[in-house]
Amino acid sequence: MRTRRQEIRRFLVFALVPLAIFTLVLVVPFTRGIYFTFTDWNGFDVTQFVGLDNYIAAFQNEDFWGSMLFTAGYVVASLILVNVVAFGLALLVTIPLRGVNVLRTAFFLPNLIGGVILGLIWQFLFGQALPTIAEATGIPVFAENWLLDTTTAFWAMVIVTVWQMSGYMMIIYVTALMSIEQEALEASLIDGTNGLQRLVFIKLPLMAQAFTISLFLTLRNAFMAFDLNLSLTGGNPYGTTELISLQVFREAFSFGNFSSGQTQAVLMFVVIAIAALAQVAISKRFEVQR
Amino acid sequence: MAVINRKVASAAGVATVATLLFSGCAAGSSDAGAGDCSEVTEITWLGTIKVEIQDQFTDAIEFYNENNTDCVAVEILESPQDVPFLQTVTTYYEAGKAPTIMTALQELPDMAPRVLDWSGDPLAELAADGTLDVATIDGKVVGLPITAEAFGLLYNKAVLDAAGVDPASITTRSELADAFDAVAETGVAPVHFSGLWWSLGAHFTNVYHANAADTVEGRLAILDELKAGSKDLSSDPVFENWLETFDLLKENSIDSASIADTDYDLGVENLAVGDAGFWFMGNWAEPNLLTATPDGEFGVMPVPISDEAGTYGNDSISVGVPFYAMIDAEQSTPEQQEAAKAVLSWFLTTPEGQAYWSGPVEEGGMNFIPVYDGFEVTPSTFMAAEIAEYIAAGKTLQWVNSAYPAGLQEAYGAAAQKYYDGVSDRAAFAAELEAAWVQ
Repeated sequence: MRTRRQEIRRFLVFALVPLAIFTLVLVVPFTRGIYFTFTDWNGFDVTQFVGLDNYIAAFQNEDFWGSMLFTAGYVVASLILVNVVAFGLALLVTIPLRGVNVLRTAFFLPNLIGGVILGLIWQFLFGQALPTIAEATGIPVFAENWLLDTTTAFWAMVIVTVWQMSGYMMIIYVTALMSIEQEALEASLIDGTNGLQRLVFIKLPLMAQAFTISLFLTLRNAFMAFDLNLSLTGGNPYGTTELISLQVFREAFSFGNFSSGQTQAVLMFVVIAIAALAQVAISKRFEVQR
Repeated sequence: MAVINRKVASAAGVATVATLLFSGCAAGSSDAGAGDCSEVTEITWLGTIKVEIQDQFTDAIEFYNENNTDCVAVEILESPQDVPFLQTVTTYYEAGKAPTIMTALQELPDMAPRVLDWSGDPLAELAADGTLDVATIDGKVVGLPITAEAFGLLYNKAVLDAAGVDPASITTRSELADAFDAVAETGVAPVHFSGLWWSLGAHFTNVYHANAADTVEGRLAILDELKAGSKDLSSDPVFENWLETFDLLKENSIDSASIADTDYDLGVENLAVGDAGFWFMGNWAEPNLLTATPDGEFGVMPVPISDEAGTYGNDSISVGVPFYAMIDAEQSTPEQQEAAKAVLSWFLTTPEGQAYWSGPVEEGGMNFIPVYDGFEVTPSTFMAAEIAEYIAAGKTLQWVNSAYPAGLQEAYGAAAQKYYDGVSDRAAFAAELEAAWVQ
């Protein structure tokens, strides 16, 4: 009994402050947010409970689901491209060559630029720099401003995301590649494998954990992307490139529909949670015990 | 309003939280008023009224804080320009620190239950006829007009003179087309027609709504029909005329006009240097134009949409109040509310205050077009003087867009951009405008 009490005390000494912060900044707002979805909250005060009305309205809202679908496309495209590029870069910078450290830093650098500034930089690139280059060189790909058409604006967002995120994922893959035991690789060499076989049958299974982490991070970041969306396209042209976060934000703050915006945010949380759990569950299967 | 919505820098969205934190920390740093006050009432003004005149506004408040005899100290809370007003203000209310004075337009109905009723106040009595209409909600006057703004076809007088075009003689759409041709013959693009969503969504759609009926009741009735889903825009001849004008501007527009965000600056540049003769915009652009071409003369003229001279609205420009001043009555003490009235009263009724309110920008004034009786200071620039003439002659169109519900102008803007880009045809455009109301 006394030891149990001591244990609790010891736990509290270490955990009380973090626990209090966690409760204050996460549990309380989250619970309050869910509470608001059952009311007619207008940003200032609540006058009555409306039951499930907000949820019914959200399920019937075409803009919301249109934006959700658009976001899903963006998530899939950036999930694949970010990780392919990141893994490619990781393989490149683990080749024992002079100067790979400089390359690593260079590839990681875009990740240090904040989303808003990044968006403004690329807005300038897509809008002015690239069309000017296209005009001078006769290469037609970037002759038109990519941000003015829904399809190209979508790919513009994916390109910028890949450029920003792959450096970070590359670091995770580099760490994983370097932590693979040399014995396993040497054994496979003795067995007469070629480079591709070593990659597919030895390296990939042994670093599956890195894929679980990277895929999870990319999935989450892409689903919750906001600043890049806001500063790069702002949802334009014609509000067709609004990712789900921006759609929720506009619903609440521009249109003044706070309770329905909050409801959409809760639904967004549910969708992301399901997608992330599914992804982790699937990726875990590919991990091997060492 | 246009200026509020203008995407000065999209960075603001994320910067809000930081701004709120910092402005909170700055509280109480303002100096007390005149020395003989036993107690100073501290109030806040959520005031980036317009980003272009922020320095002048800050100077004016500083001057007031040092010299006022009302025993009031005003602290300015900056309001990021690209952040929705409701986002900024709900945070303050949630924290129990509502700004004492706030300025907004389309959010007036949202704020109505929380703000002071100006009915019967001497300042409200001074406000020009009709300027309180928009701010009167359920019989309560929730805000005082800050200034008047006007939009229409801005023109570069030098370009029109060279082409032999007199803007005052253009009374029909055909004559406008002739004027465009005359300008084109001099080798200059006739018009820069911006595809900016707020310009199309709020201002250009207003040209239809303001011309749609010749009484306020008639115009609001059309909004009600749209709300009820019973209005068929395509069968409205005014709407057809409006689309004809839309096409006319589009066909004659300079190449560089597009729906890109950088469009506003390009519009300024094109009109200022004389690469285009006209630009559909408003008088908030005049300081930008004069900065680019200091010795230029830029005026404003109506957008004639009917082909019959004398049709209602053909000879008028859209004039309205872009923002109203409200005083919080929910979280501010009665003393603070009185202090807020004193500040506004100083601006609107004293010589020093009026000089700051309506004096030229170069001399530290905010260049607001005065909408109050007994104003001694008048704006001095070419366009402002022209607008004052239109107002005096009663040739003004209502800003029906002030009555748009929050979010409608965004939906209108998106629909108009599609038509502008040729993505939708007339029928689809009309359908999208109608659908914007039903959501």
